[in-house]
Amino acid sequence: MTNGLDYPFLFKTFFVALSGVPIALLVTIVALLFALPTGFAFALSSLNNVPFIKQFVRLYISFVRGTPVIVQIFVVYSSVPLLLDIFFTTNNINVNVYDVHPIWYAFIIFAFNTTAILIEVFRSALSAVDRSQIEAAYAVGLNSVQAYRRIVIPQALIVAMPNLCTATINLVKATSLGYAISLHEITLKAKVAANVNYNYVEAYIDIFIVYLILCMVIEFLFRQYEKKLSKYKMQPSAA
Amino acid sequence: MLQLKNIHKQFGDNHVLKGVDISVGKGDVVVILGPSGSGKTTFLRSINFLERADAGEIIFQNKTIETKTATKKEIHALRQKIAFVFQNYNLFQHKTALENVTEGLIIARKMKKDEAEKIGVQALEKVGLHDKLNAYPVQLSGGQQQRVGIARAIALNPDVILFDEPTSALDPELVGEVLEVMKEIAHDGITMVVVTHEMDFARQVADKVIFMADGVVVEEGTPKEIFVHPKEERTRQFLKRVLPEDYTVYI
Repeated sequence: MTNGLDYPFLFKTFFVALSGVPIALLVTIVALLFALPTGFAFALSSLNNVPFIKQFVRLYISFVRGTPVIVQIFVVYSSVPLLLDIFFTTNNINVNVYDVHPIWYAFIIFAFNTTAILIEVFRSALSAVDRSQIEAAYAVGLNSVQAYRRIVIPQALIVAMPNLCTATINLVKATSLGYAISLHEITLKAKVAANVNYNYVEAYIDIFIVYLILCMVIEFLFRQYEKKLSKYKMQPSAA
Repeated sequence: MLQLKNIHKQFGDNHVLKGVDISVGKGDVVVILGPSGSGKTTFLRSINFLERADAGEIIFQNKTIETKTATKKEIHALRQKIAFVFQNYNLFQHKTALENVTEGLIIARKMKKDEAEKIGVQALEKVGLHDKLNAYPVQLSGGQQQRVGIARAIALNPDVILFDEPTSALDPELVGEVLEVMKEIAHDGITMVVVTHEMDFARQVADKVIFMADGVVVEEGTPKEIFVHPKEERTRQFLKRVLPEDYTVYI
C-alpha cells in the first residue's frame, strides 16, 4: 500500500479541493459583509463611550475570543436548531429546521466571530488617527459626520489594512472548520475524496496548497489596495 | 465684533481660565502674550469651541452664545465664520495641499469643485505655494505646511482667524516665512487673534496686545503701552524675561 505518494490522485484531488474554494469564499465574503459595518459601528460607539454598548462590546469580544471557534460552531449548530424547532412547533410553522443548509450556520458563526475581531481592528485604527485631525475638520466647518467620513475614516482604514488582511486570511482558514458541520468546502471535499482509498496524505497536501494559494492571493490584493490608499505617505521628490 | 465675557474653564482641579474678557474690533489684530500655562491657548480654543468653556458668553456679530449651553447648531454656525490655524498645522494627512484648502469649501460650504479649486489656488498663491498644489503634507517643510494651514483658513473667507502659536513648532529659520504671510494677511484687514511668543510680530502688527497670566487678563493695551509702559509688575517681569535688555530702543 505504501508505495510513496499517489501522484495521479494528488493531481486529481487538487481540483476537488479547488472546487471547494467558492464555498469558502462565499462564507468569507458574507461574514465580512456583515462584520465590516457592524464591527465598525460597534468600534465607533465603544470609542465614543455610548454607555450600554461599550459594556456589551467588551463582553461580546471576551466571549468570542475566549472560546475556540470549533466550540462556537458546535454550540450554534446544536442549539440553534433546537431553539428554532421549539419556536416553530409552538407557533405551528411547518418548517423542518434540520433541513436547513449548513452554510447558514457557517454564515452566522463566522459573521459573529469576525465582528468581534473587526471591532478590535477598527477600535485601534480609529484611535490611531490623531485627535488633531478631527479638530482641524471642525475648524474648517465640517460637522461630526463629515469629519469622520472625510477625514478620520479614510486615515483609519489605512491603519486597519494590515490587520484587516490578517483577519480575512484567518477567516478563510477558519472556514475549514466548516467540515465539522458537513459544509462542502475545501477541507471536507478533499477528505471525502481521500476516504475511498485512504489517500489522506495526498489530500492533506492538496488542501495545504489550495489554502496557501488562496491566502497568498488575498494578501497580494490587500497589499495592492493598501499601496494605493497610502500613496500620500510616500515621500520621494516633493511634488 | 467679537467679544468674550467672563470665560471660565477647568480641567479637573486645574482652574485654567478664571474669568477672561476680551473684545476684538473688526479688522483688529489682537495678540495674546503670556507665560506658558497662562491659559492663552485654552482661551483661544474656547472661542471656536475646540474646548467648551464651563461658563461665560461669546458675543459674535451681535449674537450671544452661552458657552455652557451652546447647541451643536450654534457651534457649527460660529465655526463657519471663524477659522483656526494650529500650532502643529494639523493638515489633513491624506490630502494634497490644494485638497486641504478646498475641503471646507466643498464639504462644509457645498461649493462646486472647480470654483473651490480656483479659490484654493488663489489662497495658496497668496502664501507663496502655487508650485506645491499637489504635494502631500509629508512632502512639505514645517514652514510650508503652516502656510498651507494659513491658506486653508483664508480660503474660507472667515470673519476672524485664530492663530494658536503658529510658529512655535517651526525651526527658527522657517519662522520668518510664516510671519511674513501673517503680516500680509493683517494688512489685508482680516480680523486676527494671535497667541504667540513672537514679540516682534506683536510690536509691529498688533492693534492690541493682551497679557495673560494664571488664567486672567493682567493687562491690555497698544503695543506701545504694553512694551514701553507696562503698568503691572507681572507684565514687567514677563517682558524682562523674554526681551533683550535694549529692546525698548526699537519701539
